[in-house]
Amino acid sequence: MTCEVIVLYFARSADLAGVRTETISVPQQLTSLQLWDEIVKRHSRLAAIQDQVVFAVRQEYVLLGDQLLVLHTGDEIAIIPPVSGG
Amino acid sequence: MAGAGPAARLPEADGLPAPEENPIPPPLPLRTELSRLEIQRYSRQLVLPETGVRGQLRLSACSVLVVGCGGLGCPLAQYLAAAGVGRLGLVDHDVVELSNLHRQVLHRESRLGTSKARSAAAALREINSAVQCVPYELALGRDTALQLVRAYDVVADCSDNVPTRYLVNDACVLAGKPLVSASALRLEGQLAVYGYRGGPCYRCLFPKPPPPETVTNCADGGVLGVVPGILGSLQALEVLKIATGMGTSFHQAMLIFDALEGRFRHIKLRPRNPDCAVCGDNPSVTALQDYEQFCGSSATDKCRMLCLLSSDERVSVEEYKQILDDKVHHVLVDVRPLVEVDICRLPQAVFAPLSKLQEKDEGCLKSLVQRICEARQPSSENKAFPVYVVCKLGNDSQKAVKILQGLSYQGLGLISVKDIKGGLMAWANKINPEFPQY
Repeated sequence: MTCEVIVLYFARSADLAGVRTETISVPQQLTSLQLWDEIVKRHSRLAAIQDQVVFAVRQEYVLLGDQLLVLHTGDEIAIIPPVSGG
Repeated sequence: MAGAGPAARLPEADGLPAPEENPIPPPLPLRTELSRLEIQRYSRQLVLPETGVRGQLRLSACSVLVVGCGGLGCPLAQYLAAAGVGRLGLVDHDVVELSNLHRQVLHRESRLGTSKARSAAAALREINSAVQCVPYELALGRDTALQLVRAYDVVADCSDNVPTRYLVNDACVLAGKPLVSASALRLEGQLAVYGYRGGPCYRCLFPKPPPPETVTNCADGGVLGVVPGILGSLQALEVLKIATGMGTSFHQAMLIFDALEGRFRHIKLRPRNPDCAVCGDNPSVTALQDYEQFCGSSATDKCRMLCLLSSDERVSVEEYKQILDDKVHHVLVDVRPLVEVDICRLPQAVFAPLSKLQEKDEGCLKSLVQRICEARQPSSENKAFPVYVVCKLGNDSQKAVKILQGLSYQGLGLISVKDIKGGLMAWANKINPEFPQY
């Protein structure tokens, strides 16, 4: 079973992905790291910032790892690298 | 704690310490009542049940260290001073520049070239003379940060670089002070409160600093002034809520502002990471480190200086001027983004943005090769034809030289690719003062 989720790319990740938002089709059940890998499959340049992002699912921080996610169509995934300007 | 030790002394009556000293003022007294003038001045916030007299008195006993008097620090300090905070420590090593004024709203044209910390202090005293403003004309470092952070109740990170963000975070964790952190770039901003009531610290979220070449600053990336204005104002709000005892909504949440969409998102964060290097249960960081080394970048350089090429692959602006004067046949390739080419350009340049070169854009490479072939004189067919690459500051041009050196196209022939050190800004500084600087 797959579902359609919305991926939001912030700051540096939008530069690397070349888009600010997109809808992608992913398995309904997968780990957070597998979900990240699905996204990196589409935008390989994102691999460079894997260790420097807040990864959020439904507006909640998720550690990239074995945590199992159950996704639904319309869920919002956000990739948030730190911004340091001021 | 604050005010102890031989180095501590009261700030001068005018609040302007000698630049080489770091005055550590004594703690502010907790007062029991407001004066008639204070009641009048703060009446609109005194009638708010959430603040009231008790909140105002707490605020007047609160000291806030503002790290960075720029796009975030100016609006933050402005609202904190207006609201009647007890003391503001204003840290900035830099001077006011013309390109700051679109967003750093405490500074004035009349203060160009003067210290930002002093300029901000002077503007704040005009807003509210009862607030103690202590300027610190220094770049916060491992030797100064902890002492200063310990002397203040709340810290606001309004800095503009990665090493300072880790330094301030670690100092706040070690000193046990809440850190209200904001940042802004282009049309985006972020806000969070770190190390407060079981929430994460900056390192819990970002244990590893980003590679320096992936970090963009305001000079390179641009920023619309009102964006740090909004984030600095929100940051002031969280400081006020903490200082008056209302608490904060962001000790385990990050606010993301997308100015283009006009949208705020509230991201729930993780709690403190027990394995965190600085705030974890068994921290490996128990004293401040060398953060410039940790991050691989400088806290004070406005611009990173990359060094990708050897000296014989580079020419100075003086040497390039000589090449022009000698009418040496060559091609000059400007690799800046088109938005910057629109600002200013050299008339002889051909344009090939670095991003297009990096993605090996066929159309861009073909037209560049065509221009080189056209410019090459038939008589010098066997000699390497000179191609010079320029950008704003001489970083991107080095990356472009690396790409162009690997270029192989039929009919291109031998080329010698070098970049111009310091880029167009060095050209403006050393060769043509009429050339715009941005």
